[in-house]
Amino acid sequence: MDDNILSLFQLCDSSFPTGAFSHSYGLESYIQEDRVHDQASFLQWLNVYLNEQLIYSDGLASRLVYEALEKDDLQKVWQLDRMLTVQNLPRETREGTQRIGERMLKLMESLYDIPVFLDYRERITNKQSFGHPAIVFTMIGHHLGVPKSTTTLYYLYSTISTLVQNAVRAIPLGQTAGQKTIQQFQGPLNRATEKIQGLDEEDFGIVSPGLELSQMKHERVNIRIFMS
Amino acid sequence: MENWTGILRLDAEVRNGKTVARNVYFQGAYKVMRPIYHDESGQACYYILNPGGGYLDGDRYRIQLTLDKQTKLTLTTQSATKIYKTPKSLAYQETEIDLKEGSYLEYIPDPIIGYRDACYKQKTVIRMKKGAKLLFSDIITPGWSPDGDRFSYNMLQLINEIYMENELVVYDHIKLSPATQNMDALGYMEGFSHLGSMIVIGEETDPELIDRLYQAIHKDTKEFKVGLSLLPTAGFTLRVLANSTQTIERIFAECHSIISREWFNITPSFLRKY
Repeated sequence: MDDNILSLFQLCDSSFPTGAFSHSYGLESYIQEDRVHDQASFLQWLNVYLNEQLIYSDGLASRLVYEALEKDDLQKVWQLDRMLTVQNLPRETREGTQRIGERMLKLMESLYDIPVFLDYRERITNKQSFGHPAIVFTMIGHHLGVPKSTTTLYYLYSTISTLVQNAVRAIPLGQTAGQKTIQQFQGPLNRATEKIQGLDEEDFGIVSPGLELSQMKHERVNIRIFMS
Repeated sequence: MENWTGILRLDAEVRNGKTVARNVYFQGAYKVMRPIYHDESGQACYYILNPGGGYLDGDRYRIQLTLDKQTKLTLTTQSATKIYKTPKSLAYQETEIDLKEGSYLEYIPDPIIGYRDACYKQKTVIRMKKGAKLLFSDIITPGWSPDGDRFSYNMLQLINEIYMENELVVYDHIKLSPATQNMDALGYMEGFSHLGSMIVIGEETDPELIDRLYQAIHKDTKEFKVGLSLLPTAGFTLRVLANSTQTIERIFAECHSIISREWFNITPSFLRKY
């Protein structure tokens, strides 16, 4: 395994401080309604979240951003930043994701000297762009020369593994159950990545009603451990 | 591709304090009735008719609407949009709406009913100028099926794009595919059959409005579930999962009434369809 893949691993580490550990993306609403209460029900949620929301938003965007960077088409990247943000209708998940994106960008700026980061930062400062972790992650993957689908796969893995850690704390699940979930999820992650390669741009932003509603409902959850 | 089953084009302007059509054009399987004025506000109400009675295999419909500065208009349908089976190619509807400065559109179509083996795609693009206001709703429902199957349609897809001063501010994409998804499962329709969506945009929107709306519509009940959230532009979106059109319409009417009272100081009229 080469050094560049190891560099991308750094971003997948759940201790990588982006603040993602304080967001549940609607999972907490299901936990409070007792609809997610053990490993099996969590796995069900995780599968729907990956296959009915994440692949059409962050996943597809990661592929499209990578392709745009290959063509040096930054306009397309900024368009995807906007689309990712405005398709996220629940306010908490939208604003949370934006904060994670900004923090990730700031951190990466201190680790890597990539010109596109300066452009992204400047656009965010000028309120022309929002900031999104899938875009920052893909910029790094592209910079390091990690292949397109591998970059997407690692991004999805980092998102899912953080969610598993969050579920371990919130449901709660045992650490072993958490690790088993991550192991069982290798197949779904590979299949999702494969599916993303074949998606059409017209598929962007498809969201499943139940998932989205649980993310909106979280705004009304009084006692909470997550910000979304 | 310019082969449309039905076309409707309506450009509205204000004349002597009243919203009137500067230009109305319809062709094929669309008709529009003469406007109705429910009150003294000058707001015009137009009903779209689909004399064919439903959308069939490969049908393509197009609506273009422009509201000039300060116009106030309600656009609705006379009855539900029925999508029948589409064995060869999906039925399609495309709507383009332009809202100029200070205009207000209420776009409240009747539900979309997906019958057995129906595939339908709908794309709505709304371009707004600063100070324009919008109240837009839709309801997706499954059609009656002889074998009691709750979701017999194949696929219903709704895409809404809203631009404010040429910047994309809302991208709403729902695609329900009972042919390949388990609709009752967690994360999908979760035991409900009907989905209602409402998008409201107006500069007056603030977090307190969302709280008031939530107080008015929220109930601890198994009858429906609601989600309500602020958009990245001044406005909000509302989603309702329920088992009947009436339940969703009741909740939408409540929100509509609060918005009309607070923003225009009027009580909305009941949209008579019979």
